[in-house]
Amino acid sequence: VATVADKPHLALRKRRGGPGRAGRSAQTRRASRTGALLVSPAVALIIAFVLFPLGYAVYISLTNWPLLGPYHFVGLANYKELLHDSGFRHSVIFTLTYTAIVTPPIFIVGYGLAALLRANRFGAKIFRTIFFLPFVVGLSTVSFMFEIELQPNSGGVDFILSKLGIVSDSHAWTVNQTSALIAISVIVVWFASGLTMLILTGGMQSIPGELYEAADVDGASWWAKEWRITLPMLRRSIALALIISIIGSFLAFNQFYILAQNNVGLETVVEWIYQTAFTRFQVGYATAMAICLVVVIALVTTAQFVLLRDDTEL
Amino acid sequence: MTEVATYYEEVVAPVVPAKRRSRGPGFWVYLGVATALAVAFILPIIWAVLRSFQPARLSSLAPQSADFSQMTLANYKAVSHGLYDILPNLVNSVIVGLGTAVLTTLVAMLAGYGLAKFRFRGSGIVFGIILLALMIPFQAVLTPLYLELSDLHLTNNLLGLILVYTTFNLPFGVFVMRNTFQQVPQELVESARVDGAGFMFTLMRVMRPLILPGLATCAMYAFLYAWTELLQAVTFVQSPDKLTLPAKLYEVTTSTYGSVNNAYLSAGVVFAMVPCVVLYLALQRYYVQGMMSGAVKG
Repeated sequence: VATVADKPHLALRKRRGGPGRAGRSAQTRRASRTGALLVSPAVALIIAFVLFPLGYAVYISLTNWPLLGPYHFVGLANYKELLHDSGFRHSVIFTLTYTAIVTPPIFIVGYGLAALLRANRFGAKIFRTIFFLPFVVGLSTVSFMFEIELQPNSGGVDFILSKLGIVSDSHAWTVNQTSALIAISVIVVWFASGLTMLILTGGMQSIPGELYEAADVDGASWWAKEWRITLPMLRRSIALALIISIIGSFLAFNQFYILAQNNVGLETVVEWIYQTAFTRFQVGYATAMAICLVVVIALVTTAQFVLLRDDTEL
Repeated sequence: MTEVATYYEEVVAPVVPAKRRSRGPGFWVYLGVATALAVAFILPIIWAVLRSFQPARLSSLAPQSADFSQMTLANYKAVSHGLYDILPNLVNSVIVGLGTAVLTTLVAMLAGYGLAKFRFRGSGIVFGIILLALMIPFQAVLTPLYLELSDLHLTNNLLGLILVYTTFNLPFGVFVMRNTFQQVPQELVESARVDGAGFMFTLMRVMRPLILPGLATCAMYAFLYAWTELLQAVTFVQSPDKLTLPAKLYEVTTSTYGSVNNAYLSAGVVFAMVPCVVLYLALQRYYVQGMMSGAVKG
């Protein structure tokens, strides 16, 4: 149920239609001043470090700005060059591939974990805590951890896989492109499925139990209940979990920066922008790439709002 | 909000005494599967802790059970002084983490209070600005931010990192605090005002117990973000004495001899991990609550 406080813009409209401005008491005016005063630090910071840089970025992207020294206005030249830049194109395709590889397993594992613990049976709370733990540790620390464990011979990954009889000799996991991508994908699934689990658990808990009881009376199978009740009722949570996961993968940096150092060809878009700006010193060009990134992320986020708003539940 | 409330009641709050189920075969299958998965999820973390006690000379050899009899604190001593001294970086991370947590919580509290309890002209615009900021990832404005901070002499500066980390934590924090203040009964605010209390007094004395959970959520998220962030940390700070812990650990992985120094890195990883795990276990309820309210709204 939306209240006025939920939608300040509605409150504004309502007030304009109400008693005229002259009717506002001194108290209301003071409250209005106080409200504006309270939000001003937050607004100032966001303008200074989000909105201003965004505008600045548009300007920089139209120049040939090096990190140091003079620059010229070059119009849309950077954007034209982007269209023919095989390095940038490669990083985009690679990032999309990586996103396509990790999104389904993160979702499936996360859904499985949520479903396993759904009935709140013995130990469910502790299991939930453990499944979420990798996410809490943070992706940078997790990557440093596996930097040690992915090394040939001495690493824990080789040790366990050889004990299980899956590999017979030692692997330099991060040196080869394919094995590095496999290793990073598995690590990310381990890292991120707890988050999906948590979001889906929230959704599952809000499905009325009577629906399942009614289905039980009708003799519905487990699969039928998942397909006909859980999945449709979870629409919002599923959309949310998938979009968070997709945006996270698309902006991937830490895991590749740390685990795939010197592994040419495994650069994500964010890493490519970083390198273009700060190791190749083409700040103007890198910023044009960043603008393209903003547009893509804005589209995905807008899709999120459309998907999530289109529901009568909330 | 219904979703959050339900989630809170049913999962986060002490679990409703479960119906006495007969512990048939289904129960043991559940317990077996869940335990096996739990081992798989927690093993790498426990392994990482054990690894940090392994003598450096053994860390480039294949792991053996005999390693357990030679556990040592030598790695922790090695990273406490000399070439691989990470203590100054640990201090930097504590400063940046706490600074970000305090500033984010303070600014988000004020803004949440203003948006939830006061009607003012432009509040719609303010809400729009915060929503817009939520949609813009910091990765997308990395270069202009670097140039801006550089002009303001805030690169190689912990204050610069704190300001930027705070700003990118604000949209989430303001949403959490606005939701928190909306749940404070309006009558409470009104009666405080009738009694002649100013708005700050109302905030500090009357509402404090009700908004503490929101403040804890805000502070914890901001701290953990600042503690584990790497991309901005390596972009905005280059001078070795100002690096945060993750940036320093990255430097260790690219160390001069071309090979990773496992022993030092493993001790550093534990330093990086411990505050996250401790905070999460201690404040789990706020963490999950924040995750739901932030996720549902965001």
